[in-house]
Amino acid sequence: MTTASDEDKILRVWTPLILRTVLIAAGTVAIIGLALMIKTPGEYVDHFRLVQENARRKDYGTFVDLLIRAFNGDPRSIITVGLMILTLVPLARVAFCWLFFLKRRNWAFVLFTTYVLAGLAAGVMLGRRG
Amino acid sequence: MLSILGGLLSLSLAAGFIGALTGLGGGVFIVPALVIVAHVPIYEAVAASLISVVATSAGASVAFVRDGWTNLHIAMVLECATVTGAVIGAYLAGLIPTWVLELLFALMMLQSAYFSLRKQRDELLPTGSPIAERLELGGELPDIIGGGVVHYGVINLPTGGLLMVIAGLMSGLLGIGSGALKVMAMDYFMHIPLKVSSATSNFMIGVTAGAGALVFLARGDVSAVIAAPVAIGVTVGALGGSRILPYADVRLLRISFAVILVLIAAEMGWRAMNGI
Repeated sequence: MTTASDEDKILRVWTPLILRTVLIAAGTVAIIGLALMIKTPGEYVDHFRLVQENARRKDYGTFVDLLIRAFNGDPRSIITVGLMILTLVPLARVAFCWLFFLKRRNWAFVLFTTYVLAGLAAGVMLGRRG
Repeated sequence: MLSILGGLLSLSLAAGFIGALTGLGGGVFIVPALVIVAHVPIYEAVAASLISVVATSAGASVAFVRDGWTNLHIAMVLECATVTGAVIGAYLAGLIPTWVLELLFALMMLQSAYFSLRKQRDELLPTGSPIAERLELGGELPDIIGGGVVHYGVINLPTGGLLMVIAGLMSGLLGIGSGALKVMAMDYFMHIPLKVSSATSNFMIGVTAGAGALVFLARGDVSAVIAAPVAIGVTVGALGGSRILPYADVRLLRISFAVILVLIAAEMGWRAMNGI
């Protein structure tokens, strides 16, 4: 049977790798979006003023709608996709831990990580409900 | 345009830098900075801050996990509690009035000020509670005095869990990492060594804030023009702060920033009372 310290050694190698990879991917996408926005006259200032006046409309309806806009080069949508990838950082590492504990048959921790993943999914569903 | 973007980046850099120096995280500073200085509604500031907290946590966790300071097993157990609180908090943030958010923020800032000044406990227990031992939540630390390693046990898991639900709730509601509350729960109630508590709290903050951020993102309530520069600024500022930290007079810094926190709490409280 594997001990907690054996598990720790493997997790300590893989977790930083997952965190760093997703963080770099998210940062790159967000910076590309920000650069495109700077190149579009008026876009940034107009939107910032709307936020200040509490008059901002939602940037996207559905996730598919957001992706289509991002692929069409809409800067705000590209930034939002980058921010979404960023929120996948913790999700990715919990998902990795879930698979890891499942493989090791450490059922208590499979249960804990399943609960966390379910909580994150519930967050998305609650958000969609408004 | 560049002045607005530059202003947001500067505010965020400063918040991340101060957050790293005080150990409180950038969220505690960036939300009031956005509300008071940039005149951004608190709801938008909370959403942007949550995103930046995810980025900062991920960046800082890499070294803490690799070097063995983060207790991954404790983190995974307590994350069940923080995620529960964060999802409920982020959902409620869209429903409750602004003045309540501002008042809660003022109270959390006072708690953070108290945390930054209080004497930390660092007595280790050789064994933990039966449930903690069964889940193998204890860990080992390098023994600086005697050499080798010293084992520590974990106790009061239910109390720690309850405080983590509150920490998650505050995180989702106010866009902060709630690191001050998490570290206090682990260090004071669960007897986890301070450095392990700090590293583990930082690791858990990513999932806590991520859960809240997902609610805001799914609702379409994250403004890209605010969140992106804030996330970049706070993360870079935090990295800078953590580099400076070993050379800084931490005691003096903590006293100075505790005073600043109390002043900001007063300003946020005043805004809440006057409906600004």
